[in-house]
Parts: sequence; structure tokens; C-alpha cells
Amino acid sequence: MTLQELAQPRQDYSYAFMDAYAKRELRRRILKAIAIPGYQVPYASRELPIARGWGTGGLQVSLSLVGPESVVKVIDQGADDSVNAANLRRFIVRMSGAQTTTDTTKATILQSRHRIPEEIMGEGQALVLQVPDPEPLRGVTADMSKAAQLHADMDYGQMWLLLYEQLVRYRQYIQGASYPSLVNRRYVISPSPIPRWDTPKLHQAAHLTLLSAGREKRLYAVPPYTDVQPLEFSDVPFQIENQQGWVCQTTGIENKFMNELPQADGTSQYELSDSGYAEKLASTGTTDATYYDDQGHFYHAGYLKPPVLPTL
Amino acid sequence: MYVATRGGEEAIQHAEQLYKAMIGKLTRENIQVIQQQLPYLLDKVMGEGSLYAPELAALALAQTGGDVYEAVLLLRAYRSTQPRIAYAAPISPDNVLTVRRISASFKDIPGGQILGPTLDYSHRLLRLDVLDGLSEDDTAAVEADTPASPTYPAVADWLRSQNLLSPVEMQQIDPVAIPDVTTDAVLFPAPRAHRLQALARADTGGVLALGYASMRGYGLIHPTVNELRLGHAEVEMTHPLTGVPFSAGRVRVSQGEVITSGEKNGYQLGFAATLGWNEIKLIAASTLDLEMNNREPHPAHSEEFVMYHTESVEASGFCIHFKLPHYVTFASSMDSVRKVISTFYSSEAPATPSSDLETIRQVQP
Repeated sequence: MTLQELAQPRQDYSYAFMDAYAKRELRRRILKAIAIPGYQVPYASRELPIARGWGTGGLQVSLSLVGPESVVKVIDQGADDSVNAANLRRFIVRMSGAQTTTDTTKATILQSRHRIPEEIMGEGQALVLQVPDPEPLRGVTADMSKAAQLHADMDYGQMWLLLYEQLVRYRQYIQGASYPSLVNRRYVISPSPIPRWDTPKLHQAAHLTLLSAGREKRLYAVPPYTDVQPLEFSDVPFQIENQQGWVCQTTGIENKFMNELPQADGTSQYELSDSGYAEKLASTGTTDATYYDDQGHFYHAGYLKPPVLPTL
Repeated sequence: MYVATRGGEEAIQHAEQLYKAMIGKLTRENIQVIQQQLPYLLDKVMGEGSLYAPELAALALAQTGGDVYEAVLLLRAYRSTQPRIAYAAPISPDNVLTVRRISASFKDIPGGQILGPTLDYSHRLLRLDVLDGLSEDDTAAVEADTPASPTYPAVADWLRSQNLLSPVEMQQIDPVAIPDVTTDAVLFPAPRAHRLQALARADTGGVLALGYASMRGYGLIHPTVNELRLGHAEVEMTHPLTGVPFSAGRVRVSQGEVITSGEKNGYQLGFAATLGWNEIKLIAASTLDLEMNNREPHPAHSEEFVMYHTESVEASGFCIHFKLPHYVTFASSMDSVRKVISTFYSSEAPATPSSDLETIRQVQP
């Protein structure tokens, strides 16, 4: 027997990059976030070998969850082959030996920037959303300490005022992505920034959603089967993006979230934003159930309501 | 093992390869030259990276072609995985091997003003003669007749002895119990340890911008540099078995103090210290240390504002993240804009007639 044989093989970095203390901290914070749905849990947030603001929050969560048996899917803007998604996936695999997939239904950990996939995620799956700005109140107060106090008091009056002012000025809510939503009837969250199309998918979802902002050092969760309600006045319902009549130029599909591709003649073409879904459709001709069916009906009947233009 | 490989993955590998080809080969010799020739750059990178490792800092600079923000990120990402195996003894100004130490508060101070190595009073003329090969640079330093003292008392101690500054008591604190900005969730108001650590590793340019704004007129105080000190500190450890203290090496450290009046109990002291020698950062940071409790008259003087916005890795990372595609969020906002337009102008012609389109094309490359 030699010393060489007794020694552990040389490793420059810990399994899944982060040291055991950092992982322990992350896991504890995640448990706390699950226990208090929508509450922003502060955490230390370690530097990772990718730039801050490029998904380090999501990545820390994924790295603290990943194991060799994990199946990882990473998307950016819905696409698996986006350069940043490719880079994050490459890093997770390099550090963990996990398997990867582009199939939403096969992933155990799905890390995403700006999208929730079209196919319905199930129990046992974790959706990790990268978050640039965890604070839904940032627009009414830039100060994190003040915002924390407002959350503690459940004082969302300024948010309602903001929405009211939008109705007065524009006769509709004009928030784009990251539409402020009430989780478990208690905390208002800033959902990633996912488009409004994806926000309802968080409501009573079978999967666990973890939202993590590495730079801002906050993480929060939407546990499975939790109420998520976009902020809306009872007489002016929340609206998703209107993409009616948008047909994917390659698959001919409708009623899924589309990328709009400007054409030289001033018109637009459309393509599916969810590249894994498009790929599955192209190769097998069929997919699993989707949040919006082919007629555009959301799977929780009655959750989305037709638009109302208030007369003010 | 199945790995989803895509066009994007290949593209990023080629892009990195192209960058490497452009900055040239990474060799031990190049790294050594950087380490020897650019100590102040190394100090800046090590200070902001909060990792004292000249060799690794030189490697980081070589690897990134001298992109300081990237180099700092490399060091930070490396250090974030390193275990804490021990804590060094606290460094006191009295036992820092001081090479430069000045005070603007007094003409002369106990121990004397020690100019040390500095470019402060040099004429900032480019040495074109050296570039043209006409002369050699003379780097020989003149040796003093009597060697200067290796250590000096703190100027602040004299002020304290005069009751001009409130006294401080040396506290015995278990190093493990010291709040650590790198492993704690930072909340505000932050403990002073977090504040000083954040300033120590803050972006030099960021601290300068906020500090300068404060000095120039948005702040409340006029800082007087009470003491600025560059030196070498022993990293004093205790042997885990024998309990004998020993030096594990020396690190370049610098500390700055500014004072301002305005309190009933005399002067107030702002303090900053960092790994490496970085005088600009220390003067700006110690000014901010004083200002950080004064949200009025300017938000740049709140602790939260200063600490968040001088974090080099976070600030630079977020800034460059805007290079990432944002077309989903943009589509979402465009949807809202279109709805508003159609609500208020639905009877009018479509928003972009072809003549307008031509104009847009000309403006946008």
C-alpha cells in the first residue's frame, strides 16, 4: 500500500463547487423560504466563477440541490441553447456530473432566466428562477431596509396606489414582466422577471419554485400547491400578454408564448419561446400537457378573466 | 452521460478561445513579471478581491488580460471556496512595519512624518527617453544615514491623550464571533465590522466617486487626513499544538484615518484599512465611514447606499448583465405599450408608416 493509494484523489474544488458550509447555509435558507412562502430570506451569497448578475443566485440554489443523480435543464428566455444557459449548464455538469436534458418533464432541477416552460411541471420537480431584483417594492422605495418594514407590516398600500395610477392614466395595468403577486395571501413577490403569461403558472403549482437573487442576496419560494395571485382590483382583472393570432413559423403552433421576430418589410414572424417544447414537438409530434391548451385556455379554469377597460 | 450540446455551447467556447488567442499565452514567466512590476495593481486587485495572494492576483490579471473587474472576480470566486483554517492575531498600528506614514493635521508628529515611497511630488512627465532607448531608468534608492524606526505610534492616540477624541478600549473578541461580510447575510443597520470589511474590499473607483461627492459638497464634513499609513504586517498565528505564536508571513497593508469636528465631545474619526497599499481608497473610504450615518442631505451617505453600490463584483456584474438577452421581458413590456396605444389611438393608422421605418433604419445601425 502506498500513500498515494490512501490519499483522496486531488480535487481543486468541492463537489458542486460550493464548500459544505455554504451549501448548508443555502439549504437552511431554502427550508426557511419554503416555510414562509414569498418571504425574502437574506443569505450570504458566495461569489461563483461566473459574473454576478448572470444567474449566480439561481446557480447557488441549483448547486446546493444537485447530486450525481440529478437531471438538469437550464434555459434563458425559454431557450436551452442560449449562450448563458449553455454556460450555466456546462458549469453545473462540470462541477456535479449531473445529467442534462432539454425536456421539461424529465428535469429534476430546472434553472431558468425569465421563463417558466410551457409543459406542466409536476411534483418532485424544482424550478429555480434567477432573479435580478427580488424586491417588488423597489419601485416605491429603493431602500431595502424600508421595504423589509413594509413587508413585515403587510403594508402594500403604495403598490395598490401604483396600480390605481396606472388605471387612471392608461386605463389598464402597464407592468410588463415580473408582475407583483401575492403569495399565500401574505407576501407580495417580484416573480423573477417572468412574463405575465407565466405568472399564473405559479398558482397552485405541483412543483416547487425557488427564486434566488445572488447579487441582492435574497431568496424566496413558492412551495407546491400555494396560492399566487397577481395584484389586481376585483373589477379590473390582471391580463397576460395578448398574443392571439401569433403562429409559430416553424411548428404552426398557437397559444404558446412566442418570440416576435421583426422582419425587414416591417412585419413580424413568430417562433416558440420554449425551445425544449418546440424540439419535442418537432421530433415526436406530441408533448405533455401544457399550462395553456391549444385553444389558449389556462389549466386552472376561471383563474384568468377577460379584460375590462375601466371608464374613469 | 447525455449532455445537451447546442450551438450556443460551441459559440461560447470559441469566443473564449478567441479572447485567449488575443491576449497571448499564459506562462509562469509572464505571471512573475506582472507580480514584480505591477505591485500597486496587484494591491488593488487583492484588496478588492479580499484575498492576499500576490501570485494568484498576478495570475488573475494575466488570465484576464488586465481586466481588473474580471481579475477581482477570479480571486473572489476562488476565495469563496477556501475553508477558514485559522484566524491571525489582530494587527495594531504600533506593530505594523511602517514604510510611509503622514499626517495632514500637524506639521510634525511623534515619530515624524515619513514620506516613504511615493509619486506624490513627482512631475507627471512620461519618460519618453526610456521609450526611445536613450537612457536607462535609474532605480537605485539612496540609503539613509540612520535607519528609520520600523514602527510608529498612532497619531490618534495623541489626540486621545488630549481628550480631543473619545477613548477606545481594546476588546478581547473571539475571532469566530466577528461578523463576516463574506459569510453572513448582511442586514441594515450593519455591524461596524461589516461596514469596515465592505469598505476594505470595495471598488476603489466606486468609493472614490461617493467619497469625492461627499468631499466636494454633498457631504457634511471636511475630512482632515489625520494619518495615512502604508506598511507590512506580520500574519501572526498560534501553533495549533504547541500554542507558540509565529509569523506565517507578511502582508502589505494600509490604513487611513480622517477626522472632523462638530461633536460636543471633540473630533470624530473615520477609519478604513485594506490589504495592499491603496491611498486614494483609504481617504475616500474613511470619509465615507464618517458620512455613512448621515442620509441627509444626500442618500449617498446612508450605509445601505454606500455598501451596496461600492461592491465591485456586484456592481460590475450587474452592469454587464445587460448584455444578456432580455427579449422576453422586452416582449412583455411591448405588449403593455401596444395595448395602451391601441386603447387611446385605435382609430388612427398603424403606428409605423413605411417612411418612419426608413428613418428608424438610418438611425439604428
